[in-house]
Amino acid sequence: MLPVAVLPVAALPVACKAAVAVLLVAAGGAKLADLPGFAASVRLFWPGRLAAVPLDAVAAGLAGGEVAVGAASLCCPQAGWLNLVVLSVGGGFVAVAAVGYARHPGRPCRCFGSSSGRGFGPAGIGRAALVAACAATATLPVRQSALQLGPAGRLALLAGALLVAAAAYSAAAAIGAGRRGPRRA
Amino acid sequence: MIRIPLYLAVAQWALLGALGALVVIMYRQLGRLLTGTARAEALGPVAGGRAAALTYARPGEQAQRQLTPGGGQPLLLAFVDPTCPSCEELVAVLGRISAAGDLAGLRTLLLISDPPAYLQISEVFSSTGIEIGRPVRREGLESYRVSATPLLVAVDGDGVVCAAGSVVRPAEVLAFARSCLLPAPEAVLAAPEAVRRGEDGT
Repeated sequence: MLPVAVLPVAALPVACKAAVAVLLVAAGGAKLADLPGFAASVRLFWPGRLAAVPLDAVAAGLAGGEVAVGAASLCCPQAGWLNLVVLSVGGGFVAVAAVGYARHPGRPCRCFGSSSGRGFGPAGIGRAALVAACAATATLPVRQSALQLGPAGRLALLAGALLVAAAAYSAAAAIGAGRRGPRRA
Repeated sequence: MIRIPLYLAVAQWALLGALGALVVIMYRQLGRLLTGTARAEALGPVAGGRAAALTYARPGEQAQRQLTPGGGQPLLLAFVDPTCPSCEELVAVLGRISAAGDLAGLRTLLLISDPPAYLQISEVFSSTGIEIGRPVRREGLESYRVSATPLLVAVDGDGVVCAAGSVVRPAEVLAFARSCLLPAPEAVLAAPEAVRRGEDGT
């Protein structure tokens, strides 16, 4: 790893960008392993008048979208608009954590599928705010040479992102197999 | 000397860190599965022990009701929650079995820990014809060891726990429900091995 003493100023936004992108890929992969469970969490926020919409499909779309946004952000660092997309996703996390805490305190958020048994609470809002802060830091301007990536580099990062998603999926599936339902309070 | 772009260097370490963390998580879970602790947490009460009395209230009612096992009628207690997908599956199976008359002679009660308002978000829970209750006191509830849902507990007419475990498949739920209704030898034959041991049959 780069020693802290020689880290250039550009390293902070770059590190935040990479960390949030990897987090999105891992969280999305873990959610895909337990779509019915994630759909149950989505249902807590779903308006009653849209009851006809298949929530499993919505949950799959959200989890798949999370993986896609994370992988794209990781592989295409020069696309500045992706930083704004990731920032809006981070803002969404904060909103969900806050509304979840206000309306459904203690209910499992399944932010990492079955691999996370944490419920909505103040700590969850703090974690979501930290992710959003990192996403905001990633939008700071960085010299383009620091973000230069060739096709081989992009491909390697995409392969790494897919590997992380697959590992998160496997970990969440293994944990879900040992724990069928949510923990009781 | 090969110069690696800053972003690539940082991103590869982020990926490596995430993979390392996931490997540790999987390793810990593997250890839990191998030592059986993951399943032991969801076992419920020990078969052969006495089932504790519970105080519960029906959704939308203030009146408290007392559930006293051992009154001569076998009980099937299902600890379930509307926000748990496996629980919805179990409640749907119980509803079908009940409608077919296979639970005749058995008092079935769905016990939830979620707020009663959550019943509205689940079509299966809001439409089931099975009695639903929410325990209002902790006394007695601890002995059921409900560390995860769904959990089925079958209690015979003498108040003794026949079997406890987490089953969802229709055939297993039916065998589970009948384990307290049939005479002992038949019950042993009817209940699948996992149910007799009080383990998750899936």
